[in-house]
Amino acid sequence: MIGTTKKPFPEIMAALEGYQKVAVVGCDGCAKVCLTGGTDEVAALAQELRAQGKEIVFEACPERTCNVVKADPVLAPLADRIKEAEALLVLGCGGAVQITRELTEKYGITVPVKTGLNSVGHMDTLIGGTLAVEQCQECGDCILNETGGICPVTKCAKGLLNGPCGGAEDGKCEVDPSRDCAWILIYKRMAALGETAKLKKFTAPKDYSKAAKPRVLHIKEGRVA
Amino acid sequence: MKLTELFQKKEFVITSEVGPMKGCARNGRQAAFLKEAESLKDFVHAVNVTDNQSAVMRLGSLAASVLLKQAGIEPIYQLVCRDRNRIALQSDLLSACTLGIDNVLCLTGDHLKLGDHPTAKAVFDVDSVQLLDMARGLNQGRDMMGRDLTQSTGLALGAVVNPNFQPLDLQLLKMEKKIEAGAEFFQTQAVYDPKLFETFIRKAEGFGVPIQYGVVIIKSPKMAKYMNENVSGITVPQALIKEMAGVPETQYKDKAREITARLVKEISPMVQGLHFMPLGWPDLVPAILKS
Repeated sequence: MIGTTKKPFPEIMAALEGYQKVAVVGCDGCAKVCLTGGTDEVAALAQELRAQGKEIVFEACPERTCNVVKADPVLAPLADRIKEAEALLVLGCGGAVQITRELTEKYGITVPVKTGLNSVGHMDTLIGGTLAVEQCQECGDCILNETGGICPVTKCAKGLLNGPCGGAEDGKCEVDPSRDCAWILIYKRMAALGETAKLKKFTAPKDYSKAAKPRVLHIKEGRVA
Repeated sequence: MKLTELFQKKEFVITSEVGPMKGCARNGRQAAFLKEAESLKDFVHAVNVTDNQSAVMRLGSLAASVLLKQAGIEPIYQLVCRDRNRIALQSDLLSACTLGIDNVLCLTGDHLKLGDHPTAKAVFDVDSVQLLDMARGLNQGRDMMGRDLTQSTGLALGAVVNPNFQPLDLQLLKMEKKIEAGAEFFQTQAVYDPKLFETFIRKAEGFGVPIQYGVVIIKSPKMAKYMNENVSGITVPQALIKEMAGVPETQYKDKAREITARLVKEISPMVQGLHFMPLGWPDLVPAILKS
């Protein structure tokens, strides 16, 4: 999922300054899992905005706001209500915000679309409702086959590809002692698999052209351009 | 003068280290790092120049290395992967050779989080093994994309290794990769336990690459504790801290000399050289070498 955190309320109020009538659009996908923008959080934030004197035009929460297939059927019937709003506030990832803006443009409505969240990365949930971790950078050139299924691009603070730096102590990363050194994890995993010799192979510098922004995925062709 | 030539002549190679200051060195002769290097000139073969050490922004290591060279001191230009992508790293290596640098030490670099610009974007486009491989390519007359250079570089390539690292075999695995990528000599992280160093050297000596024992002079019990708590990859044994704390503060410097000289004496037979990181007490280096 895409991890999100709530922007501080004063920052949201500042973004909505001058807009009295506000519509709040959440996302019952990732933002729901992060407890930042599901139906419940949308209702709670709408209430807070009302308390600050804002008029809430409507609340909506597509199942996945970043996906037009899910967002359009929810927002299209609300087009007239969107016209009433002076601003839309989206509680979703940066993708959800931009898909919402694109849909308003498609409906021929020019209205500011604001975000109430910060997107903080591709996150994998370890403890439901409590803890998620970043383990993949979507680099476009996966090396998990060579590193025991543990990604050094993401889990090593320096993204080292040929082994650890010299800074780990007691198996912990020098950058954050609460975190395991990714390369020690990789080494232990490869040792358990009896494959440490494979780590001796030189890994060439990564092809970052595969991660050059912004990427476009042609789904039917399985092609990235 | 390349360090590799000295090693080939079986010289016991002694180097030290200076860190450029946070500021311009337009009046180069007055710069503290240059004065420090000059004070060591007669006792060492070469002097490392750190590259924005500890991720603290300072005068660049190339400019400072050139100032050393102009002052007749052989610099070892340190180059880290933290702040430059592969284009900048290769370009800086060409610049270094052009400006008369003969030795380069290739490192990953301390993480930004530990420095004075923690909000900067970390680069780490390549790692130290890949940097060595790139630098070797430039020495052979081609860039990392395989394109010919009009003139190849001629740099002696150094690298670092941390004998304190656990598991040691993983650090040795990386050391081997560095050698295969082109590392011609190694400087170690500071080690205060001769037994631990011996365990490392027994495994590393088979690689056939010269190794310099890294020496950081412990200036006080407080500094030792600070290093244990804040400097990753270094462990100062409690016994050493106690030994230092056992003398009055006025005698710390004598004690530092005594402890360092003892370690150097015990470890020197195992290595092909010494690398001092004197941290402001460069005047101790000659005394340690003498004893």
